[in-house]
Amino acid sequence: DNKSSKTVLRVGHTLDTKHSVHKALEFMSERLAHYSHGEMSLKLYPNGTLGSERELVELLQIGSLAMTKVSAATLESFVDDMRLFGLPYVFSSREHRWNILESDIGEDILHSLQPAKLYGLGYFDAGSRSFYSCDKMIRSPEDVKGLKIRVMNSQNAVKMIDAFGGAATPISWGELYAALQQGVVDGAENNPPSFYSARHYEVCKNFSLNEHTSIPDVMVISQHIFSHLSDQEQHWLKLAMTDAVQKQKTLWLEAENYALAEMKKSGLNVHYPDKKPFMDAVAHLHDAYKDSIVGQYLMRIKAKQ
Amino acid sequence: MEFSGLILILVFFLLLILNVPISFCIGISTAVAMLFSIDFIPATTTISQRMVGGLDSFALLAIPLFVLSGLLMGRGGVARKLIDCAMALIGMLPGGLALVNVMSCTLFGSISGSAVATTSAIGSFIIPEMEKKGYDRNFATAVTACASTTGMIIPPSNILIIYAIASGGVSVSALFVAGYLPGLLLASLLMIVCAGYAIKKGFPTEARLPLSFVVKKVVAAVPSLMLIFIIIGGILGGIFTATEAGAIAVFYSLILAVLVYKEVKVGELKEILLKAGEISAIVLLLIAASSAMSWMLSYENIPEIISKTLMTISENPLIILLIINLILIIVGAFMDMTPAVLIFTPIFLPVAESLGMSPLHFGIMMVLNLSIGLCSPPVGAVLFVGCSVGNTTIDKIIKPMVPLYIAMFIALMLVTYIPAISEFLPKAFGLY
Amino acid sequence: MKNLNSWFTKAISYLVVILMVSIVATVLWQVFSRYVLLSPSSGSGEISRFLLIWLGLLGSTYCYQQNSHLSLDILARKLSAQKQAYLARFVHLMVFLFSLTVLVVGGVNLVTTTLDPVQLSAVLGVKMAYVYSVMPLTGIIFCTTALEKLFFIKNEQFISPKAVGE
Ligand code: NA
Ligand code: NA
Repeated sequence: DNKSSKTVLRVGHTLDTKHSVHKALEFMSERLAHYSHGEMSLKLYPNGTLGSERELVELLQIGSLAMTKVSAATLESFVDDMRLFGLPYVFSSREHRWNILESDIGEDILHSLQPAKLYGLGYFDAGSRSFYSCDKMIRSPEDVKGLKIRVMNSQNAVKMIDAFGGAATPISWGELYAALQQGVVDGAENNPPSFYSARHYEVCKNFSLNEHTSIPDVMVISQHIFSHLSDQEQHWLKLAMTDAVQKQKTLWLEAENYALAEMKKSGLNVHYPDKKPFMDAVAHLHDAYKDSIVGQYLMRIKAKQ
Repeated sequence: MEFSGLILILVFFLLLILNVPISFCIGISTAVAMLFSIDFIPATTTISQRMVGGLDSFALLAIPLFVLSGLLMGRGGVARKLIDCAMALIGMLPGGLALVNVMSCTLFGSISGSAVATTSAIGSFIIPEMEKKGYDRNFATAVTACASTTGMIIPPSNILIIYAIASGGVSVSALFVAGYLPGLLLASLLMIVCAGYAIKKGFPTEARLPLSFVVKKVVAAVPSLMLIFIIIGGILGGIFTATEAGAIAVFYSLILAVLVYKEVKVGELKEILLKAGEISAIVLLLIAASSAMSWMLSYENIPEIISKTLMTISENPLIILLIINLILIIVGAFMDMTPAVLIFTPIFLPVAESLGMSPLHFGIMMVLNLSIGLCSPPVGAVLFVGCSVGNTTIDKIIKPMVPLYIAMFIALMLVTYIPAISEFLPKAFGLY
Repeated sequence: MKNLNSWFTKAISYLVVILMVSIVATVLWQVFSRYVLLSPSSGSGEISRFLLIWLGLLGSTYCYQQNSHLSLDILARKLSAQKQAYLARFVHLMVFLFSLTVLVVGGVNLVTTTLDPVQLSAVLGVKMAYVYSVMPLTGIIFCTTALEKLFFIKNEQFISPKAVGE
């Protein structure tokens, strides 16, 4: 550090270089260099070359990596507060979600990462997750009954599929295409850009936009590394992050619209179901958190409406 | 940056020549290089974490399972029945059992998606059987290792799915269909080499047998062949994944060996399980250590430095493609396939596309190329499993490997410079 | 030290057998639960992956005790018996140093990192420290085995074909 005054923060993530998050991080590096007059920049490691999301968070705790983008679902294993986002139908719309994320509630959840030796810099948009299925369209929760649905490695996700009456099957994202094609699972759930970029539409022709969960991505920095930055450097980093968030929101929306348009163009069945029956089927999942920190967040979110 | 990369390579080769176990050569050289850019505690902790992380994979579970089912079938006499059957069918050809080896590896590889699993499943019973029939054990191991890589290109293939994601949107279906012809081309070339090598070395061919005898041998092999149907049917019919097929294979071969053929006593199972665990652990420690090494290489940007240098060397597309292939062969020598695909696709694909190559064609070329690396020293998962299963050492199988490497390289050159081999089928099926 | 190591070898060989049986049983259970019970087991994938980590690392100490790890013995086979013994001791010293620094020190730090605050596995919610504790454990066994090979084995024993990678 003494030889050169430049601070390079290493950022690992698991997405490809065409993803809105990667583009936003490239923009963030530019903005950081701009604010710091070339004193600071980011070095990006995309494609999961440095590890899975969970492992990247550990590297931050260990101190060999500075920053990562991680799904709030992955952070459930580290901090209880993050379980909020894995619950179905927490937010009523994209606007509502961003209002909450950018309010004191969102701030408090980011602060909850501190005991895990992590500092939350902000949220990126990861849209809403919906069901897609190979054989028949999921029009109501009834249609989920008995289907084997791939879920992320997350307790919340397993419980939610159980509540819909489906059979939750955890399979890694990389193996999912083959599993869908072979019929090991009948369907899965994700946001439209991921569904599109993983080319799952080649084997699953039915996409039902029931939007059960909206799990944001979180930008985190190793607390050890963050605390070694000067106040000025921390300030520049936060400014660059704010710019990157605005940029990513736009890019995400573009990616989502593009994916949906392409899906429809290629003859895929895209269905907009009535969300009410879906909400009713899983409403009791919120009650299970009544006396916990997640329950308090749910009440605060309700109070804001 | 370049400095710690140089240190890594130097320390690795020094320890390698000094007879240090390869997993430790990889681990120690990674640790030494890492200490130049990361403090002691974070560096050692990171290596520990990468080693565990490298093993944290459901797909890898196929290794101990197929090793175990292979050992059970070997003990249970199933292997002999299977090989007798194949021998009765094509044993009369020059190098008959070597051809059977290639064909069964291709067949197994085309349902498992993992060359390592193929090597352990096929190798653990066909190598001893080839030795029994008078073949050189090192040659048998070499054939198994090379032939099992055909399954990386012939679908289903996890590595092609990983490539599709790393390339940012090449169709997986198109890649799958594209893999058939190059895979069969590779298998045919390997068979030609095997036949030639066997003639030269005077390996035995079997006498042509009466039809009734052939039928008898085929019928005797039916319970064993059922296992292949269970695996093919299970995977293609969507009943289970390759790893689950491994567990079913263990279950089925256990019943066959203990209850049907009664050639394995329950008391012997502990010893078989321990042997399977030992063979698997050798490979798993290597994978763990390699995973730390590829982390270090990415961290120090070594792949990126390589690609920048490359573009300054030549402007002729044919030469650049050749250089890319040579670089990938060197990469494959040291690195596992999955990290290599993840690291080098984003670097080389733009170069290849600027030369007018389609991402589909590039993907098949890259996977075929890295397949050579899977069975080339010093680091190659298939090579390690092959040696472990074939109970031999790397330096001993290099000599019989040479003609097989040449066959693989010819296949690679044909696939590199004739786009139609990769693109004809996907175009014919309207996928591309 | 010698008694300790033969006890380790025996204990680990039993553990390897138990791990192998558990892996087969867990993956079979995954298939069984999906097709016979019609409710896919959500935890079997995670359990089997963790068992594999334990098998790979603990099992590799057994391989070291049996001298079955792969190495390049081109140089070693050309040396005199005396020099082979020196080389073998150098190899075990390298194994000892790597195991002590990376597996034990790095492993202990990895375990403590996941304990404060406690990190849970994604599906079953077990402490990741239980999974990671295999790392220091493996390191300690490698260290004691390496020490035994360094100090308690006579030179001649290194010259057996097995020790040079046969
Ligand atoms: Na395959
Ligand atoms: Na190699």
